[in-house]
Amino acid sequence: MDSQSEKEAFLKKILFNKGIIIKICNSYCKNKADREDLAQEITYQLWKSESRFNEDYSFTTWMYRIALNVAISFYRKGKITQSTFSNLDNESEMIYIPDDTDELEEKITLLQQFISELKELDKALMILYLESKTYAEIAEIVGVTETNTATRISRIKEKLKKSFSSINK
Amino acid sequence: MEDIELKNIWQSYDQKIEEARLLNLQSWAIHLRCFETLQFERTKSKLASLSLFKGFAVLLGIIWVLFLGLLVYGNQFSNPYFAISVSMIMLFSIVAVFAYIKNIILIKSINYDDTINETQQKLVSLQKSTFQYTRILWLQLPFHTTWCWHSKWIVFSSLKFWLIPFPITLFFLFLAIYLYKNIRMENMHKKWVRALMMSGPEYKSVLKAQECMKEIETLKKEIA
Repeated sequence: MDSQSEKEAFLKKILFNKGIIIKICNSYCKNKADREDLAQEITYQLWKSESRFNEDYSFTTWMYRIALNVAISFYRKGKITQSTFSNLDNESEMIYIPDDTDELEEKITLLQQFISELKELDKALMILYLESKTYAEIAEIVGVTETNTATRISRIKEKLKKSFSSINK
Repeated sequence: MEDIELKNIWQSYDQKIEEARLLNLQSWAIHLRCFETLQFERTKSKLASLSLFKGFAVLLGIIWVLFLGLLVYGNQFSNPYFAISVSMIMLFSIVAVFAYIKNIILIKSINYDDTINETQQKLVSLQKSTFQYTRILWLQLPFHTTWCWHSKWIVFSSLKFWLIPFPITLFFLFLAIYLYKNIRMENMHKKWVRALMMSGPEYKSVLKAQECMKEIETLKKEIA
């Protein structure tokens, strides 16, 4: 990074879109320590890849691509390292876990649970779909055709809907 | 349940994240500002340390090859068995050095802003090439037992030679061929293959990388 102000601006962008990191961490990791470690790794990889970011493209698409790539490939090694985040501020909790107090929160928990049970790639596809990314954008992030993406997503959706309706019965 | 309802639930999840009391912006800002420290810490991360380790191994490998070259040069006429054995060990060492250089280039080319497909493919090929070269290296085993052979043992048909060094070499020859044939990705479920090739977490990583590639391949073939 060239200057301090550029760095600050980039960090602010990450901060503004931190929800992406949180949702991916929640979908890919079950326990708090793992989520924090993954969040740290994703943020670090984003920061490291900043020089390669092309301003012509969407920042969030780029962020999703890195975050999902890290979540799928790096973190699967299953090794928890000491987290700088948690060392810095043990009081802070960056992951939101809903309380089961109302119906909506119950649905959120269920959706989170269903997503976390999906295979790694399906998880990525579903998160991107729920984030209202177009099939073209999803295909670009994953590196496959739009048709394949659309077909797979429709299959995952069917599975999700079935799981929801079986619970609601 | 309609698509829109699924998306609405996800949207509410988004809002909840924003509202979450514990998710304070200030702590995130502090975390993000500590990247210099983080970067230093992360140089110890897995891929980075792997590349560092391989770099060190390349350096040692080059020194080792030069040393073997000197040995061959100094003994090329005095004992052909020594010269041939050490030359073969040197050849395998050169293969290993090139394999490590290739791996370092591959590690350096892994960018997380490539498509998921590309990144996964690179990770799998990194693991595959490590596997491939390691199994080739086992083939040098018998040459480690022949460098001390001497022509007169064979010319005079020494009984000691046929009873001790020759069976040992024969044993290592079969062992090398057996290992070469059996150390392959498909046999990774066998305990002894894993014991020779990798630790537990690495094995999991290889398996998951393969799983993910299979998923991508299936997705590519998906027909509406």
